[in-house]
Amino acid sequence: MERVIAETPHGLARLSTRPSLRTYVRSVWERREFAFAMSVGEMRARHSNMILGGLWHVLTPLLLIGVYYLIFGVLLGVDRGVENFIGFLAVGIFVYQFSQRSIVGGSSSISNSIGLIRSLQFPRAILPLSTVFREFLMLRAAAVVTVTVVIVTGEGVSLSWLLVLPLVAIQFVFNLGAALFVARAADRVPDLTNLLPFVFRILFYMSGVLFLVDRFVTDPAIKALFVLNPLYCFVSIPREYMLSTLDQQDVALMWVSVSVWALAAFVIGLVVFRSGESEYGRA
Amino acid sequence: MTTGARPATMVVDDVHVTYHVNEERRPGFRETLRQGFKRPVERSIDAVRGVSFTAYQGEAIGVIGGNGAGKSTLFQVMAGLLPPTEGTIYANSQPALLGVGAALQPKVSGRRNVELGCLALGLSRQELEERLPAIVHFAGLEEFIDLPLRTYSSGMRARLHFAIATAVEPEILLIDEALSVGDAAFKRRSRRRIDELRSKAGTVFLVSHSMRSIRKTCDRVIWMERGVVMVDGPTPEVLEAYRAYTEDPDDD
Repeated sequence: MERVIAETPHGLARLSTRPSLRTYVRSVWERREFAFAMSVGEMRARHSNMILGGLWHVLTPLLLIGVYYLIFGVLLGVDRGVENFIGFLAVGIFVYQFSQRSIVGGSSSISNSIGLIRSLQFPRAILPLSTVFREFLMLRAAAVVTVTVVIVTGEGVSLSWLLVLPLVAIQFVFNLGAALFVARAADRVPDLTNLLPFVFRILFYMSGVLFLVDRFVTDPAIKALFVLNPLYCFVSIPREYMLSTLDQQDVALMWVSVSVWALAAFVIGLVVFRSGESEYGRA
Repeated sequence: MTTGARPATMVVDDVHVTYHVNEERRPGFRETLRQGFKRPVERSIDAVRGVSFTAYQGEAIGVIGGNGAGKSTLFQVMAGLLPPTEGTIYANSQPALLGVGAALQPKVSGRRNVELGCLALGLSRQELEERLPAIVHFAGLEEFIDLPLRTYSSGMRARLHFAIATAVEPEILLIDEALSVGDAAFKRRSRRRIDELRSKAGTVFLVSHSMRSIRKTCDRVIWMERGVVMVDGPTPEVLEAYRAYTEDPDDD
């Protein structure tokens, strides 16, 4: 089967704990239904003990937009330069959350499935993969809310909205790479799981989720730093296509930034994760 | 010993496993401040020291020996879960390991565990749907299959796990004490399942401290102590040697 490589005595093949990268990726792909079943189950289980049940998949995003609008739009007034601040918030929050939850979830994906790991042989990369996929499924509900909010707040539907789809695909790859990386890191240093939420809290404010960076930052050198931040780009690109009155600079550069980040994260994450394949789940 | 005429399913070639373990106790923060940071004491433990054997189609091989003999470690290596420090394993397919105390997913139902387990082992959705009733029936858990796994007794859990692992019909099955918690009826059923796998040219390995179940199930026994193979041969002879060894350790 998939772990086996070179030819040897008795016509048997050598059993390897370190399959080649290609074999490894193929064995993950062969078990994609497993990843899918894990994610769907976890998503359904999330609100299963609530009275309102699955309705929370829509209510949570709505409440979130409401709270952020109240604090940052009405009370603190950081909505300078943004005409449709509610739409601006909606797009930013959910795109940001997709990465945050995928990566924070990835860091505990191994420890959450310790029982499965100790009982069955399967490529462990399935676990971070199903975490990211679960967050993708959650994003769908949030996306429906976002699109509704954006339309209700007066934006016209246009074909350029479709450009958001390839962006989500790129973000998925980026999240997966980062989740694989932190899954391995957190397996070696469990304390990381406690640290990550704070990292994302800081990144939240540095990625322009709540304010239009172009309005506050004029120095081109500092702006270049923002473009180097993939989360800033993921948050800003869809706003450009979905909000007509926003006129951001550097959008083409942002596409380049996210593509390079996604590719690098995926390759590094996969290599780093696989190098620990035989160590996951050991006490 | 074994008939060399049958094709081999697995070759274990001079396998060594050395664990490097840090001493367990971690100094507290205050202690570190007072005494400075010291590297934890590292100890190496030779769990398996040069084990070699060849397993053939249709064999049921018992592995016996005292606690700490290296049986479970050897199984981990044979399953491809633990890289050997030295030596190589050759096999005709990926072995399936059934360990003791395996937990699967305690919070979700037995049914869902069967689904996830089978998909994890590489069955397709369709194959899973076809085999699900048989798996549940084999485990004897029809009544309880929709209860969360954490409510199961250890015997019920072991039954479910065995049913999942054998549903994919592995050619090499490694059972580490996993049957010892099952009741008599399940032991009979699992023995039948083991015979089935053997008749389909599979090989079954069984670690057990019950000489009765070794005698009933296995035609060959490997006896290990302190990481090395003491005797490897037909069941009655090895069990006799083992009995002589354990019965009279010292004269007091």
